[in-house]
Amino acid sequence: MSALLEVRHVSRSFRTTLAVDDASFEVQPGELLGLIGPNGAGKSTLFNLVAGVIAPSSGQILFDGKPIQGWKSHDIARVGVARTFQIPKPYRQLSVIENVMLSAFLREKSIAGARRLAEATLADVGLDAYGGSPASSLTVGLLKRLEVARALAMRPKLVLFDEIMAGLTPTEVGAMTKFVAGLPARGITVIWVEHVLYAIMKTATRMVVVNRGKKIAEGTPTELARHPEVVKAYLGEEMDLA
Amino acid sequence: MSAETIPSLSPRRMAWFPTRGRISWFEIALLLIACALVVSGMASSLQDVLLLSFLFGGLALAWNIAGGYAGLISFGHSAFFGVGAYASTILSTRYGITPWIGIWIGALIAAMFGAVLALICARLRGPFFILSTLAFAEVVRIGALNWSSLTGGAEGLSIMPAPSLIGMVFASKAAYAALMLFYLVAVFAITKGLEASRFGYYLFAIRDNEDAAGAAGVNPLLGRTAALALSAALTGIGGSLFAQYFLYLDPTYVISPELSFQFALLPAVGGLGTAIGPVLGSFLITPLSELLRSYLGSSAVGLHLVIYSFGLIVVMLYFPAGLAGALDKLTRRGRPR
Repeated sequence: MSALLEVRHVSRSFRTTLAVDDASFEVQPGELLGLIGPNGAGKSTLFNLVAGVIAPSSGQILFDGKPIQGWKSHDIARVGVARTFQIPKPYRQLSVIENVMLSAFLREKSIAGARRLAEATLADVGLDAYGGSPASSLTVGLLKRLEVARALAMRPKLVLFDEIMAGLTPTEVGAMTKFVAGLPARGITVIWVEHVLYAIMKTATRMVVVNRGKKIAEGTPTELARHPEVVKAYLGEEMDLA
Repeated sequence: MSAETIPSLSPRRMAWFPTRGRISWFEIALLLIACALVVSGMASSLQDVLLLSFLFGGLALAWNIAGGYAGLISFGHSAFFGVGAYASTILSTRYGITPWIGIWIGALIAAMFGAVLALICARLRGPFFILSTLAFAEVVRIGALNWSSLTGGAEGLSIMPAPSLIGMVFASKAAYAALMLFYLVAVFAITKGLEASRFGYYLFAIRDNEDAAGAAGVNPLLGRTAALALSAALTGIGGSLFAQYFLYLDPTYVISPELSFQFALLPAVGGLGTAIGPVLGSFLITPLSELLRSYLGSSAVGLHLVIYSFGLIVVMLYFPAGLAGALDKLTRRGRPR
């Protein structure tokens, strides 16, 4: 089976800072890959590189076997990569359903068709009661769900979730975790960046850990919980108390 | 928070008041009043005001496609206006091509100017974009002033007034009023069509959040370029009509910051990003500025501008969403939101 996404020796520097340093990893179709790391590890930069917001300084990114590094974000969206924004970016002057319709237009060219797809997607994420509300009236938790709805209405092959749990209540986290866990079975491959570790450890089929721009470990959640490099990155050096 | 009903989900019945993407009784009523005014045989000076209100209503709607829907606030639209005016006038006076054809050629050239502006300013946003549009219009004006073999330079161009249908020169002001009303209705219809189209939604998305639009597969540069080209083309048509009415143009008359501001002001007063807003704005401001100018223009030079500006400040303070916003608020009162 060939990988859906391949990141090969990708680096990106901002002036003198190397935000991503020679990162390589693969995502197989149907995987739910967790991408974790401490603050400033380069997770968001990695995300933006795959989504086409920024271009890599060097390296290759292959989607479905085709090189996509350096493509514009709208071209990457069209081949089947959707993403959410860590800080929600709704179209504030539009209603919730219109926000989702704009993503649905990628698959449904008619207004009526896009509206139907948007309605179905809103029901899917539990936002169906808010379809007519202005997007500007939503709370943070609902905005996060709107981000997810917009990404899924594009009927993507690969979806990149960027901290969709931040700011949610524990109940909401539980519901969202369950929802995300069900996506691979529907043919949607997921890369998920999250700070709420217990949620991602429970659901991810595999995890990649980055720190200071480098990939430091890769494996199943249970493997990684005992990985010395990972523990060090999150908790610091083990202190010698003797 | 309760769920709202989406107006456009129940498309069977026609709405009473302006609704995005749909025609309402309010707009039909306005059109009937406008038609009645055209054929009413009012005094000539009032007909002047009427037809200018129509013309500027159409121009405000054209500006609003870029400024209101795509978020491309331009203070340089008089460049497109001038290009349209010059194109049809040069074609008719030099080459004997009827303005009925020249208008479309002018619209095409204006669209190209609009596309060029969008591409030049591709990376500019907010105030930087606004300033560059202002500069762009100045470049076009100075160009027209200096390319006198084509434009007649500062001396300007005159259209010899020999009334004929083929020359688009009319003896009766009612005929001009009908022409300008037709222009207004056409741009209004295009705006309504835009509101209900996928392209229109793309513009809303680009305006509200460009990053999110890109992530949804919308090409922001393409959208902005198309919006500005369409807006410029429609503005160019307005310029041609203006030239056919005044029968004279020179660069500083048809390409000026004052004119550009006027195009932006009418939608701002009436309601940005709505179809009815620019029309209401023009019906309020155009007569007001014409009346103030004719009553105060000679006795106290500049006083009409003071009163005019004061009125604008009041509108901006108390109706930030424009007249259309105020109307919307008024008619929604008591209705479930």
